[in-house]
Amino acid sequence: MMNHDQPSAKDRCGKIWSGMQLLKDTTESKHFLPTGLEGIDTLLGGGLRQGQLTEVTGPSSSGKTQVCLHSASLVAAKHMGVVMYLDTSNSFSPSRVATIIDGSSDVFGQRGFDLQPKDMRLKSVMRSIICESVFDIFALFEVLHQLEGSLLNDKVNNGGSKICLLIIDSISSLLAPIIGGKYPQGRSMMISVAMILKKLADEHNLSVLVTNHTVSAGNGAVKPALGESWRAVPHVRLVLSRECGSNICTATVLKHTLKVFPL
Amino acid sequence: MLSEEQSQKHITTGSGDLNNILGGGIHCKEVTEIGGVPGVGKTQLGIQLAINVQIPVEYGGLGGKAVYIDTEGSFMVERVYQIAEGCISDILEHFPHSHEKSSFAQKQLQPEHFLADIYYFRVCSYTEQIAAINYLEKFLGEHKDVRIVIIDSVTFHFRQDFDDMALRTRVLSGLSLKLMKIAKAYNLAVVLLNQVTTKFAEGSFQLTLALGDSWSHSCTNRLILYWNGNDRYAYLDKSPSLPVASAPYAVTGKGVRDAGNSNHKRVRVT
Repeated sequence: MMNHDQPSAKDRCGKIWSGMQLLKDTTESKHFLPTGLEGIDTLLGGGLRQGQLTEVTGPSSSGKTQVCLHSASLVAAKHMGVVMYLDTSNSFSPSRVATIIDGSSDVFGQRGFDLQPKDMRLKSVMRSIICESVFDIFALFEVLHQLEGSLLNDKVNNGGSKICLLIIDSISSLLAPIIGGKYPQGRSMMISVAMILKKLADEHNLSVLVTNHTVSAGNGAVKPALGESWRAVPHVRLVLSRECGSNICTATVLKHTLKVFPL
Repeated sequence: MLSEEQSQKHITTGSGDLNNILGGGIHCKEVTEIGGVPGVGKTQLGIQLAINVQIPVEYGGLGGKAVYIDTEGSFMVERVYQIAEGCISDILEHFPHSHEKSSFAQKQLQPEHFLADIYYFRVCSYTEQIAAINYLEKFLGEHKDVRIVIIDSVTFHFRQDFDDMALRTRVLSGLSLKLMKIAKAYNLAVVLLNQVTTKFAEGSFQLTLALGDSWSHSCTNRLILYWNGNDRYAYLDKSPSLPVASAPYAVTGKGVRDAGNSNHKRVRVT
């Protein structure tokens, strides 16, 4: 017996795209958001792609938070949209954002912003960055659901500046207390976070950047944390490493859906 | 947010050089991890911070109280008294015109008052440590003038009793998230003192901080204390806004001070 209150199968399965529609969407609306760091942008093929989940992993103090801060500053400074920064280790530092913007003066040469005094520029940048502290996985779910709700409302109202970049630094510290051991829901929560993030990225044209840490893989090698189930989740994975006592970090691509790397 | 950050006061460590590499001192709203070999001065630095946070606002400090969670029993009260006296004599030296200020403020500068404003918790097992941190939130709700929480040391109880490493990782990451939350919510600094262990990497044994790789991601800033010959050095290993840097410091009879005058230095014990 058909229940007339339920939506029909056609409504439930989401929009069906034709190949041409997909191509049009990809070339026209899925832009690359630059991180501001040349080497990383090159590896990423232009920057953080909208609609994709990018992961940056690496041992402690290898520069992951710096990549996040750079992307946030640059995207906000170029007025590409609003940045949402979810911080789990109280590392978001407005003075660091100010230093980054002051350092990248070529951005403003293009747009003729050098007329604006420094603090005005900084204020407009800070207004485009929403920073929230999340300290456990449930708070993260809460924030993501609220974000989803507000984005759906915006679609209806066609509101002002939309969010274009979502940064979570770091997602591994939120997932670490629940994964493994006798708590079986841990892994399922990790996968549901992954699904929500990918859905947000796809439906609302966001670029999602998450950071992960590394654990030892035996014999002194390191591998990204969060295990095998998480490996398949991000579209692009980068590993950062820093040599002892130097300021130079190297990035390696672990996985990229659009590029082929010689083995 | 920017103006808030700029108006944040930092907790001085007692040594000017050390303050410089830390960007003014220990930051509030952040978790700082300090690690080093035994004998390099971690507990001394912890005690110095517990005293320095109490420097009254008139003299450039925060005028707050301290919570000291001791897991090893290394909190020697006589030494704390000595460091408090040293801190007071330095304040009076720096502010000689304070004789004109109200004598009330001066009367408050007694070592006994400094000792009275340190809330001391002694924990003897890892369950007590977890319980103490869980209780901290309630405690801080009642005592809103606490501006620093020091845990000395966070490693001790997690090294011996744990067979299940995965459980240890989970418990520690939960602990660190709670501490982050407390630091942010109550606008205080959290300082964790850590021990060292050896790690086999790149074909040789190296000294690294204890508690593993996943713990190394759980702090906002990390400071490593080490010996260089007969001198003590501090190395800022991890910070979101400051460059990596190194600075010498000394532990004198008065507490942690700048390296330089070698008369009061305690020599390395090997």
